[in-house]
Amino acid sequence: MIKFEHVGLRYGIGSEVLSDIDFTLEPGSFHFLTGLSGAGKTSLMSLMYLGRKPTRGLVTMFGQNINQLKRQQLSSLRQRIGVVFQEFRLLSHLSAFDNVALPLRIEGRAENEIQNNVNELLEWVGLGDHKNRLPMTMSGGQQQRISIARAVIARPKLLLADEPTGNLDNEIGFRLMTLFEQLNRMGTTIVIATHNQAIMENFGHPRLILNNGKLEIERPKNWIQKKIEGVF
Amino acid sequence: MIKELLVFIRLSKKDKRLGSAQGKRHYDLPLNKNIGTGFLIVLIALMTFLVVIAIITSFALESMTNHWSSGLENKVTIEIPAEKNNGSLRTNDEIKALQNKSEEKLKTLHYIKTTKSLSDLDIQDLLSPWLGKNVSLNNIPLPGLISIDLHTNTPEIIQNLKKEMSNINADIKIDTHEAWLGDLLKLAGALQFAAITIALIITITTVTAIAGSIRTRMAVHSEEVELLHLIGAHDSYITRQLQRHAVIIAFKGSLCGLLAALVTLMLIKLLSGEITEVLLPEFQLNAFHALILIAIPALACLIAAMAARFTVLRTLAIMP
Ligand SMILES: Nc1ncnc2c1ncn2[C@@H]1O[C@H](COP(=O)(O)OP(=O)(O)O)[C@@H](O)[C@H]1O
Ligand SMILES: [Mg+2]
Repeated sequence: MIKFEHVGLRYGIGSEVLSDIDFTLEPGSFHFLTGLSGAGKTSLMSLMYLGRKPTRGLVTMFGQNINQLKRQQLSSLRQRIGVVFQEFRLLSHLSAFDNVALPLRIEGRAENEIQNNVNELLEWVGLGDHKNRLPMTMSGGQQQRISIARAVIARPKLLLADEPTGNLDNEIGFRLMTLFEQLNRMGTTIVIATHNQAIMENFGHPRLILNNGKLEIERPKNWIQKKIEGVF
Repeated sequence: MIKELLVFIRLSKKDKRLGSAQGKRHYDLPLNKNIGTGFLIVLIALMTFLVVIAIITSFALESMTNHWSSGLENKVTIEIPAEKNNGSLRTNDEIKALQNKSEEKLKTLHYIKTTKSLSDLDIQDLLSPWLGKNVSLNNIPLPGLISIDLHTNTPEIIQNLKKEMSNINADIKIDTHEAWLGDLLKLAGALQFAAITIALIITITTVTAIAGSIRTRMAVHSEEVELLHLIGAHDSYITRQLQRHAVIIAFKGSLCGLLAALVTLMLIKLLSGEITEVLLPEFQLNAFHALILIAIPALACLIAAMAARFTVLRTLAIMP
């Protein structure tokens, strides 16, 4: 699904924020991405959602070397990736409904299909009564749920969430994690950047740990067992 | 045309319901909430107004010159001078004799349509503004004048005419009106050139203004554009929205400008009815003129669409 080989990233002429990143994420896997603030989690995410290109190294997404793809093909790849941005990035002039509907509109889906899917998902994230409100009039937690709904509405093959539970209280945070788990069981590959130890421990997925621009993978001791429990 | 107009009006109505969930054509970018949309419409309206005035002026000048030259180009005047080459005067009888002889000859020439000898009375009419009604012309040496209509006017024919006339008398002069008509046509041509130049300059200014405004819009909306890009919108999806927006603005503006210009010209024509009657007795908008005038809003829309397209694509090109 995702393969990074000797990937490095620097902003401008500064030193490398990410250096020699090597990892492979299998289709259907679920990973946490963690590290101190400023370690480069968001930067690594932006490489994965094709928001920028690495300054060196090779990035392979969905089995395709992204350097060899045309602009149009890159856009099509992005449509298969759902992103929850750390700062939400909702369109301020669009209602909650229209923000969530955006990925479907971009795909050119039929309007009645859009109505059904968006309404259903908004109910699910507990915002069914707020679909006509503008983002600015909503709390941080509500905005975050809209951005999560927008990320999953088009059933992406890959879901990248940058600190998606940061603004949510634990109960809603866990509820959303359950949504991610469900999506994962339906085949979506998931990477979640988070600081939240409680959630990482509770859900026990392997962790990608960023430290000084390097990446390590750490699998919890009971990971295999959790995985088996999850499947059965 | 009517159908297209309706579509456009419907489109611009939709323009107001931004971001609404209904309908196929909706905007993801808050384009119409921009300050400056109204300004741009007024700007385009003014520019179109000036272009239309300039173009119609050029049409009018063209029709004026056509009118003048077609009125005069086949007309030639033969003059039998009252004064001989050696300075002595001809008597009226001498002049009459020469005039009759010339007219006889002219009637035999195949390229001559009509001839008309100006009688003393005609000449008196021509001269009365200067000399007064009651002056007896018998005492004043007057030239003999014959006005001719040619079938066509070519240098060879004029050459031949000169030869025939000099056979009768070397003093006879031929006036083809070329000198003053030529000056007039040159002046009209210069004015027409000026009008077209003005139209061109205004067009270039408008293009720059539209392109500049679109670029500002892109800067204002760069975050939204980037988000659309990141969640997988193709470049065409984004450019289409800005293009449609630009076209609607250009259409509204240029239509207003065109109508305002036409109304202004009608008013001018009404107010100065007599003058235009003299100068442009036959100037009417023909189908070709109408086509060009209709083409102006269409051209404005096209220019706006292209300006929008290129600016958006340039902004998007920075994103991977
Ligand atoms: N757009 C950018 N331009 C320049 N520097 C950046 C940019 N984004 C992030 N950085 C720098 O890269 C480093 C990693 O940032 P980031 O990826 O946001 O880390 P994290 O998400 O783990 O907090 C930080 O030092 C930050 O200052
Ligand atoms: Mg971050």
